Amino acid sequence: MVSTNLISQISFGNSFASKASSIGKRIYDAIPNFNPIANEKTIERIAKFGKKCSSAEQRLILGATAIVMQPAIDARNKSVDEKTRKVSVARTIAKVIAGTLTGFAIRKACIKAMDLKMFKPSNYTKVTKDAFDQYKNAMGTIVALVVMMFTNFLIDAPFTKFLTNLMIDEGSGGKKK
Amino acid sequence: MKTPDLMKNFGQVTAKKFGAFKNVILEKYGEQPGTMLVHTGVLGWILSSLAQVGAVVVNDKIPSEQKAFLIPQEIADAAINIVSFYVVTNSVKSLASKLVKSGKLTTPKIMEHLKKTGLKLPKKGENVSPVGKWDFDITKLANYDEISDHFKSFKNGVDVGASLLGSIASCNLITPVLRNEYASKQQKNAISRMHNKQLQNLEAPCGISMAEFQNRAYSKSFGLKI
Repeated sequence: MVSTNLISQISFGNSFASKASSIGKRIYDAIPNFNPIANEKTIERIAKFGKKCSSAEQRLILGATAIVMQPAIDARNKSVDEKTRKVSVARTIAKVIAGTLTGFAIRKACIKAMDLKMFKPSNYTKVTKDAFDQYKNAMGTIVALVVMMFTNFLIDAPFTKFLTNLMIDEGSGGKKK
Repeated sequence: MKTPDLMKNFGQVTAKKFGAFKNVILEKYGEQPGTMLVHTGVLGWILSSLAQVGAVVVNDKIPSEQKAFLIPQEIADAAINIVSFYVVTNSVKSLASKLVKSGKLTTPKIMEHLKKTGLKLPKKGENVSPVGKWDFDITKLANYDEISDHFKSFKNGVDVGASLLGSIASCNLITPVLRNEYASKQQKNAISRMHNKQLQNLEAPCGISMAEFQNRAYSKSFGLKI
């Protein structure tokens, strides 16, 4: 009895999933095709972006957009009082600046370090230059993440604290004595 | 076995494992930079969250009562960051990837190749072409190798761009809004808990009722301190 119920529940789940997937397919198929990208320069730029944009550039772009968007979101947070809001904005700006600068520099340096012999995989000669470049980005990012486990404490945290305090002091009319 | 032999053995095993790991990374991400950005992004969030939680755990200046509140808060914050990043970024990237693979988003060179293959190309008002449909996959065509270089570099570019857009939306828009919502709820709960604790230890001064005294105490100390 129990097993019959279980089977009927499973088959109900399967049929629900298959119906949902079929609806998804129909919606996707109903979306009209985009016109092919005609501009040759745009196609070249897209391809170049895929080859050249590593996690370091991604971190830099994320940081640049974060400095515009995140403080604005914190400044509009009406769930907290005025003073908390100001500190929250200052801390967010400080975190973005410190995180972006160290994140970009460490990722870039680690990706560069992948040219060292010890990081080259044994079968790197069998793949294309593009594939090897992508390997350097991936491996360099993994190494950078390990390095950042330490720099998060050693650089990011004190630098964020310093910048936050600097902005709070500036905001309240100079350093308190 | 003597200590130098043990060390030598350990060194050899580690070097072998590291060699295998490098080849796995080369095979897995060599031709999928978009996927690499999503996966290393998630790994980055996990490691930085571990650092945040670790910073609270090892901080001697935080009393254990506050740690009992701060550690679950940091873990919840980390969960929001990681889940939001993975779900949003991966979904946007997968959708972009599907658009290119199914032929909804193409270049004239890819269209020319599809025409050469003998496929019916999509036209306005007609719904007979398989190109752009969910089940259509350019990479599974018999003569895919002829266009693979152009197709891969175009698809990788679109994938990386989509991963970037997804990560901007999740890290700079969705996560801050969710985190603020969660943090303000936590802050309110913590303040009301502190109030309850303070009020439990209060005694009413002579001349006024306990309810009146509590009202006065509450109205005087309502300012949020940080």
